[in-house]
Amino acid sequence: MTALTYYPGCSLKTSSKFYETSIKQVFSFYGIEIQELPDWSCCGASAANTVDERLAHALAARNLALAEKQNNHLFAPCSACYIRTKVTNERMRQDKNFREDINSVISPLKCLGTGEVKNIIEVFHDRVGIEVIAGRLKYDISPLRVVPYYGCLLTRVMGMEAFDDKENPTSMDSLLWALGVELVNWPYKMECCGASKTLTDKDITYDLSDKIMDMAVLLGADVIVTPCPLCQLNLDLLPYLGRTDQALPILFLSEVFELAISGRLSGSNSHVIAVDQAVKKVKKIGG
Amino acid sequence: MFKYEENPGYRMNDLTFLKEMEALSGQNISACYQCYRCTAGCPVVTQMDIFPHGIIRYIILGEREKVLKAKAIWTCVQCITCSVRCPNDIDIAHVFDTIRKVAIKEQKAAETDTWTFDKIFLDSVARHGRLHEIEAILRFKVEKKNLFEDAKMGIGMLLKGRMGIFPHSVRDREQLKEIFKKCSQ
Repeated sequence: MTALTYYPGCSLKTSSKFYETSIKQVFSFYGIEIQELPDWSCCGASAANTVDERLAHALAARNLALAEKQNNHLFAPCSACYIRTKVTNERMRQDKNFREDINSVISPLKCLGTGEVKNIIEVFHDRVGIEVIAGRLKYDISPLRVVPYYGCLLTRVMGMEAFDDKENPTSMDSLLWALGVELVNWPYKMECCGASKTLTDKDITYDLSDKIMDMAVLLGADVIVTPCPLCQLNLDLLPYLGRTDQALPILFLSEVFELAISGRLSGSNSHVIAVDQAVKKVKKIGG
Repeated sequence: MFKYEENPGYRMNDLTFLKEMEALSGQNISACYQCYRCTAGCPVVTQMDIFPHGIIRYIILGEREKVLKAKAIWTCVQCITCSVRCPNDIDIAHVFDTIRKVAIKEQKAAETDTWTFDKIFLDSVARHGRLHEIEAILRFKVEKKNLFEDAKMGIGMLLKGRMGIFPHSVRDREQLKEIFKKCSQ
């Protein structure tokens, strides 16, 4: 199987450092090897896309070019990195004039768009699979009521196929189901958290994230689970944004794997909203 | 009473703005038949002065000033719900992003915070190759003259180890500078 080149992006090296730690632990349990992309740069996120689209594509193409040298699949756990890189990759592959223009910007590097970009949900499906996941559980996490929160960016993409349904994705649901949690169906799978408005207009982030949290509390969930670092951060910052009502911990997808494998969370101290209550519900199988 | 002479756009005889926006965005804006799905799905519609379907309609009607000066284009969170749901495949979020560029260029933007932050963000990427969060946030706060507004949140994040103090840079910064230089031309 093609090896995986890991593109952490800015979040997994700073505000969500514990997401990286968690991914590495879980991947080593399943024997998935990853090598960090040498000298990777920022994907440009929504900022580059708003200010200068050509720059946005050039930044993404730079990383793609570096990854192509290694002939591996590019694994991007951050939803923004994933979708920006994937969109550029598709256009580089299909549009010759576009490819030549962007390559003139990133020269001497060269990107052909021949690689593949994968998010964390895809990697768990492709490299582990739900049978192996369900067969290697060490802890019983069935007491946890979980709402799956995908966020905006993973599947909302225009002019190309998404890896899952654009409006009602289920790929993370099946992973969580295999891990043995009690899965709650809810209407806010893809509702926006407010994204970077936390800095420029934090009332918008507060309104949006608060509404998502209210719904999760109403449905009696124990935790919200997301693969996206910005969704996790915005919801986790709710106590600072002004929420005084009950707030549920927001776990990264890999952290649910951690619970099922080791019964603990390596990054529990990095969570603003305490995770203790949720972790306590987990019991060793046969213990 | 409504007078056509005072509202030339309503006669739809001036398609200059529509053509301009279609060319810049690459979107078939005139395909809109006002089904309102974009507005119905928009998570921030309550904060908008003109709803998404309205922005699209005003573009078709040639209401250039109204569109460029709208607050709504800056309220947009770029979640792309409207685009995915549009039955005519108009990437409405991308049209909004295109309007932003024109509004800034002509100094008609109703709000400049988003643009200012995005520029500071990119400046940080230009210098380090990666976002140096704390530097970008502090520069934005200085620009806005509200350095201490969210100090509690910032300190909370630092204590949780969720904000890096030092920048982490790419090695080949010269090549990266080239990319930014070529794009600014």
